[in-house]
Amino acid sequence: MRKHLLTTAIAATLVASTPALADGHLEIVSGEPLELTIQMNHARYPVYKEDWPVEQKARELTNVHLIDVTVGANMRTDENSGKTEALNLMLASGEIPDIVGSSRIKDFVNQYGPEGAFLPLNDLIDEHAPNLKAFFEERPEIAAAISAADGNMYYIPYLPDGKYGRAYWIRTDWLNTLGLDMPETVEEYEEVLRAFKTQDPNGNGIADEVPYFARQWPELIRLVTLWDGRSSGSDTYHDFMVVDGKLAHPYAGEGYREGIKNLARWYDEGLVDAEIFTRGSSARDFLLSENLGGSTHDWFASTSGYNRLSSDIEGFEFKAMAPPASVSGKRIEEHRRIPIKPDGWAIGGTNKHPVETIKYFDFWFTEEGRRLANFGVEGMHYDMVDGKAIFKQEFLDAGPVNRSLYQVGSQLQGRGYYQDYGYEIQWSNEFALEGIALYDEGDYLIDQFLGVAFNADEQRVYDRYWGSIRDYMLERQQAWVLGNGDVEEEWDDYMAQLEKKGLSQVLEVMQSAYDRQYGG
Amino acid sequence: MSGVKLSQLVKRYGDLEVVKAIDLEVQPHEFVVLVGPSGCGKSTTLRMIAGLEEISGGEVTIGDRVVNRVAPKDRDVAMVFQNYALYPHLNVADNIAFGLRIRKTPKDQVQKMVAEVAEILGLTPYLDRRPADLSGGQRQRVAMGRAIVRHPLVFLFDEPLSNLDAKLRSQMRAEIKRLHKRLDVTSIYVTHDQVEAMTLADRIVVMNDGAIEQVGTPMELFLNPVNTFVAGFIGSPPMNQIRAEISGSSNAPVAKIGDQLLPLPASADVADRMGADVTVGIRPEHAEVHSLGTSPLNVELELVETLGSEALLHTKLADTPFIIKTETEEHFSTLDQVSAFSVNPHQIKVFDIDTGRVLGQAGA
Amino acid sequence: MQSESRLSKIGYHLRREWQIYVMLLPTIIWFIVFLYKPMYGLQIAFKDYSIFRGVDGSPWIGFEHFEFLFSNDQFIRAFWNTIIISGLNLLFGFPAPIILALLFNEILHATYKKTAQTIVYLPHFISSVIIAGIVITAFSPSVGIVNTVLGWFGIDSIYFLTKPEWFRPIFVGTGIWQEAGFGSIVFLAAIAGVNPSLYESAVVDGANRWQMMWKITIPSILPTILIMLIIRIGNVMEVSFELIILLYQPATYSTADVVNTFVYRQGIQSGQYDFAAAAGLFNAVVAFVLVMIANTLSKRYSRTSLW
Repeated sequence: MRKHLLTTAIAATLVASTPALADGHLEIVSGEPLELTIQMNHARYPVYKEDWPVEQKARELTNVHLIDVTVGANMRTDENSGKTEALNLMLASGEIPDIVGSSRIKDFVNQYGPEGAFLPLNDLIDEHAPNLKAFFEERPEIAAAISAADGNMYYIPYLPDGKYGRAYWIRTDWLNTLGLDMPETVEEYEEVLRAFKTQDPNGNGIADEVPYFARQWPELIRLVTLWDGRSSGSDTYHDFMVVDGKLAHPYAGEGYREGIKNLARWYDEGLVDAEIFTRGSSARDFLLSENLGGSTHDWFASTSGYNRLSSDIEGFEFKAMAPPASVSGKRIEEHRRIPIKPDGWAIGGTNKHPVETIKYFDFWFTEEGRRLANFGVEGMHYDMVDGKAIFKQEFLDAGPVNRSLYQVGSQLQGRGYYQDYGYEIQWSNEFALEGIALYDEGDYLIDQFLGVAFNADEQRVYDRYWGSIRDYMLERQQAWVLGNGDVEEEWDDYMAQLEKKGLSQVLEVMQSAYDRQYGG
Repeated sequence: MSGVKLSQLVKRYGDLEVVKAIDLEVQPHEFVVLVGPSGCGKSTTLRMIAGLEEISGGEVTIGDRVVNRVAPKDRDVAMVFQNYALYPHLNVADNIAFGLRIRKTPKDQVQKMVAEVAEILGLTPYLDRRPADLSGGQRQRVAMGRAIVRHPLVFLFDEPLSNLDAKLRSQMRAEIKRLHKRLDVTSIYVTHDQVEAMTLADRIVVMNDGAIEQVGTPMELFLNPVNTFVAGFIGSPPMNQIRAEISGSSNAPVAKIGDQLLPLPASADVADRMGADVTVGIRPEHAEVHSLGTSPLNVELELVETLGSEALLHTKLADTPFIIKTETEEHFSTLDQVSAFSVNPHQIKVFDIDTGRVLGQAGA
Repeated sequence: MQSESRLSKIGYHLRREWQIYVMLLPTIIWFIVFLYKPMYGLQIAFKDYSIFRGVDGSPWIGFEHFEFLFSNDQFIRAFWNTIIISGLNLLFGFPAPIILALLFNEILHATYKKTAQTIVYLPHFISSVIIAGIVITAFSPSVGIVNTVLGWFGIDSIYFLTKPEWFRPIFVGTGIWQEAGFGSIVFLAAIAGVNPSLYESAVVDGANRWQMMWKITIPSILPTILIMLIIRIGNVMEVSFELIILLYQPATYSTADVVNTFVYRQGIQSGQYDFAAAAGLFNAVVAFVLVMIANTLSKRYSRTSLW
């Protein structure tokens, strides 16, 4: 109650200061408002809504009105096709709106931009977008990462803030029950998992505990990092990685071999969920609420939420643990939030107002614009407290905050904007915050591979070989873990097959693209 | 050879009784035709004899065996169906042999029997053809071949000719008759066509509404129908039926039709009904127009239908349609001037107006 | 001269029977719009296709996509997997609905028959995603009914869905379970069309139910069976790939990966429509040849054919 009064008081003072903001310094055109058409499809907001408070506020500030003309709107979330289907339909329809925003837009604009479907942004940014220009000057690796093979930028990305994505999680109450310490090394981690398996920590008299489980089976492969292997170079599974400026694939490394050998042993011993490859996305929900799951590697925000189960399961406590030290003593957390997403928006090739549009894009990188993109409308969704945007309590109480924000037109990943982690921290639960603090302290994150843009020849080589190689890698990987083959015996043959299937050609074109893009 | 006996045979579908406790005895070698309008229960009766319908009450005896609980195949009957029931995927020879093969008759014997039957029915040239490549009459012959080849105790025919055109029908009628003569097997034949019944039957069973109206030889039924139903069903065209009032005296009764009088044969039944209404029945063949006898009746001629050697005169007698069938040969030019007919009183039938039963003819 | 009279004949015919041709029109339009016009787009199989440039604007590249297909050992494997899975489907999945229809035909009790039919039709209406969920659960090594039953006989639980040798039996079995009931409808309809007096005649002839099934029912519905078989052969390359995607694992690629899933991973997922079109065209050619062969054989030996 007191808090509520406080926020009301602050809101009141802010209302007084609002006119000072609306002084028109952000206005892009004067007089008649400029109308720009927009396509924006996303699984959570299939079309761009002109009555979003955020859009209304942006209109007020910039005098630019976005008009929704989205075609092919759908709410499918499947990996690639669901997200780019609307874009393909839009392109096939023959009319490209002034602004096109979508998730997975990067490859799309990098392919069709050079063909003329989208405008290159470099010169426009240089001349008309001081905020974007400043941002890219400060973060040249981001400018490099979004550039197409012809060296041009075709979209303004959604830039996530905050570093942490996934972490190791463990049933700390089980550790206490069994009188075990938090595992610090891979050996200790193995011992703990074995104890979970054999010593009946859930106390039901049956050895039904599932020591390590995961919603996505590649999170099992992630554990090869405990033997100094790697499972991916980015936040996408099975991705390439960069080692000392050289492209490599984690599944062709020695540490990987060692890791798979040990994971096969773990699997055989029952330290890993026997059904890890088929349990699917409900694994975490099922195994935790049935009091069966012991440890996993999963997202901070959503996993910490399972501590609510303590009301059903006596003593339930699922906490983040620091990555165990590998056999060589390294502690790394391979997964992190990627600083730049392939999502964002671009300017259609037939746009009659490219200058105004880039200015509009730039608006979202101004202080006011960024707050609008992150927190919603001041006075409506948040208030300024000591120079920080603080969500109104009733807004926090109105259900999942990110969902509430989509519904007012904030945090749209089809919009190019720079996320402010401050938005998320305000509604993260204590277990997540505690875990993040733990990971912050240890500094376990490693650099990520931000992807490359191929030219046509490189693309052809990549398309020709990579699919088969990836399939073969995954096929052998599962076979080894499941014990349908022995990694030690088959390794040389495996490497020879990868070579035969063209891994070096793929690495070669990746390297040339990488060198061109990041000035290797 | 064995006969078929139905005693108090009943078929019920739920509350609906479609065959109402009928009794019938078919003698060995006899050709009996069940005739009646659609839905009279004749097919159902036949199917109960065949064993295709369960018997709700009463008994069916074939030979000296009650077959109520005997499976169709063990009743030793053969049946010919209206739509031939030929197997489209088998050729003529295999169709005929089907029943034999099912009974595991030795191969060489089957071949011999099929050849024999084909010869009888004139099917020998068609043995390799499929039913689809045969004419209607040929198909019908194949269907009969299937029945004959098994040498059953009883043949059952379920309207076998109704899918054929008129000419073929009369041809096949003759063929069936001939076949029956040759094979001499007890046959029960169902039809709604009284011509078929008249031409084929040793005895006709007229059925109506699940019951037997009359059993007799074709001529018995033609000459002495026991009621208006049989009178109206047998004969073509059927017997004229006119409402009339009995008057005159007991010894010389007359029927008063409108204001005309028609002498009737004297009988006690008729005498009892003096002054009452009856139905008077006169066969079209019995109306004489060329040599008018006693007390001719005046009619109003409406239409002359010439059939060749005969003609049908559609007339009105006291506002009731009345058909006269007459020879054409000598009097063709005068037919359109007919205005009266006479009839021999002994050929006149008198029926009770309510029950339809014939009067004055007990046992005749 | 002759063609002119023929034209006028057609014109006369059109004027006289125009109502019938009007009724035909929607079908023709449907064919043109949904089948013939899209055929124009098939050319992208020979082009470096870009949606933005369009079908006409994309450059020709000849048989490059096909060369890639045939030089790829995974495609070859997927092709053979398709043939094998389809073959198994044909061998076990095709007779299943026929047998089911024959069995239903023998049920006399009306309520029992209707209930049984409804139950076996149901799986057809369940989405593949749910079906896959049921299969995954049923074959789960820890809680699955299959392994539970095996356990009663002292057999160690098997992680079926990661065993390449088990994928095909499970997939084909699932397909039968899902579609046999619904597929039996067409055969039931065919059976219902058999003249009942054929059976009565056979009863009088002394045939038992088994003989009637073999000698009457099956030969009578044989044309239907053959037509369905030819159609089925035409779909040989179209194994229900949603279900495969949902059920397969990299561990079972060796037996489970079919042309459609291969194309999906290689083509659609990375937006390579031209490549996917090439694979689709190849599929269509194979299916076309198979249908031609099947139809010719059927025509020659049983007088039944699609055209």
